[in-house]
Amino acid sequence: MNFPAELKYTKDHEWVLIDGDVAVVGISDFAQDALGDLVFVNLPEVGDEVNAGEAFGDVESVKAVSDINSPVSGTVCAVNEAAADSPESLNSDPYGTWLIKVENFTEADDLMDAEAYKAFCEAEA
Amino acid sequence: MSELKRTLLYQAHVDAGATMVDFGGWDMPVQYPTGIIAEHLFTRQYCSLFDVSHMGRLFVSGPQRLEFLQHVLTSDASALEVGKAQYSMIPAEDGSAVDDAYLYRIEEEKFMLVINAGNIDKDKAHLLPIAEGFDVKVEDMSGCTGSIAVQGPTSKAMLAGLEGGEAINGMKRNDILHFCLEGHEIMISRTGYTGEPLSFETFARNDDIVWLWNRLLELGAKPAGLGARDTLRMEASMPLYGHEMGVDAEGKLMPIFAVFLAKFAVSFNEAKGDFIGKAALAKQHEAFTKILEGDYSLIADLPRRIQPVALLDRGVLRGGMPVYKDGKQVGWVTSGTMIPYHVLEGEGADIKFTGETGKRAIGAAYMDSDIVAGDKIEIDVRGRKLAAMVTKTHLKNNKPPYAIPVICK
Repeated sequence: MNFPAELKYTKDHEWVLIDGDVAVVGISDFAQDALGDLVFVNLPEVGDEVNAGEAFGDVESVKAVSDINSPVSGTVCAVNEAAADSPESLNSDPYGTWLIKVENFTEADDLMDAEAYKAFCEAEA
Repeated sequence: MSELKRTLLYQAHVDAGATMVDFGGWDMPVQYPTGIIAEHLFTRQYCSLFDVSHMGRLFVSGPQRLEFLQHVLTSDASALEVGKAQYSMIPAEDGSAVDDAYLYRIEEEKFMLVINAGNIDKDKAHLLPIAEGFDVKVEDMSGCTGSIAVQGPTSKAMLAGLEGGEAINGMKRNDILHFCLEGHEIMISRTGYTGEPLSFETFARNDDIVWLWNRLLELGAKPAGLGARDTLRMEASMPLYGHEMGVDAEGKLMPIFAVFLAKFAVSFNEAKGDFIGKAALAKQHEAFTKILEGDYSLIADLPRRIQPVALLDRGVLRGGMPVYKDGKQVGWVTSGTMIPYHVLEGEGADIKFTGETGKRAIGAAYMDSDIVAGDKIEIDVRGRKLAAMVTKTHLKNNKPPYAIPVICK
């Protein structure tokens, strides 16, 4: 299981990369492993508002639908159509496959660093 | 929480790294590390092994075995010769299904009734009091035998290649034979729940079933879990109790003839005589026959039927989603998911796998009986009404060795 140090994580297993003025959001290695083969991704549109801790989209495995919650509040400024076209890339490369980029954002106050998130996953597993 | 039951193959699943889940009180593999999609695709191209030891297996014997089975099942058990099997339903008096079942005549004087794992207790509570009125012995053999489904294009050659397995080659659909394979006593039927033209189910005691599992893995078969079992049966439009039988989305019991396969599971032969639910089923059958001819005069006796549906817009179908036609709700999705398929080239014996795969959002829906294949419908996919269509089948499987996906565009 991989926990890149440059990312922050939520308790719902999303990651966020703060890249200057933009927050880049995806799901973690732990999340993709727990969900199994992903077959569909529902994403918001550019311009939509997202709220920290609330669902902005969902991913579907063969068996079930799971919400994806936002680690930040702000405005969606980009959506990864490639992830929507090939959801399996979330399984093969969860940290290389971002879902949305958010601008004018504020972070949730309970984000974890890689070390804390790793401990959190170990406790949950 | 009570302890989960384990099949004879439990350790084999754990050793293979399977994700185990509680399924009807059994600790069962839902998938192996390769994942559901890879397992589904492997089954359609090669051969997968499914541990189906959790299924209920009731052995029925005694002087009035036939009278009992004729009374509690919809099929004509008297038509079964030794070494043959038939699809059947356990009907309730109102013409709904207590369960669906496969009946095997394994010996001159012994039948095996295979029932759903999750329904074992319910079925026994239904059947055993009735059995008291007959001179019949009903034994639950579920726990002391194992069962492996061996499914896919290479299954036949693999089984027939085992020492003592030559007779596999002559087996037709629904045949069941006793084998001694490399010294192991195994019963094999040509049946299955994947839609594969070449598919077998095997039944054996303890050590023999574990031996068979490992031997077939050595020969190149791979294990597949309950997840792939579900996607394969959905692609083959095979019904699952609790989805296509039992209660509908409104909590009402669905009639047996809502399922197309009822056509083959219900018999009104003279030899069968009276049986539970016969009057209700006869009315459904009359409506069913007319509906298939496009005559809806008896639609009140069979208001809704299960038919295959395919989503045309992007999304995923799930059981319980409402279905609309011309703005009016006409039913619900009963089963659905995103299902992978092989992109094939050529036809018949010349079919080639291109190595490419696709995926499609398909399933089944319980809809007004005047809806027919080809009709455009809309399905409410979590708040969005998406375009879909009704289709005859998702899979063609009448030409071995390969099942061919039928794609709606």
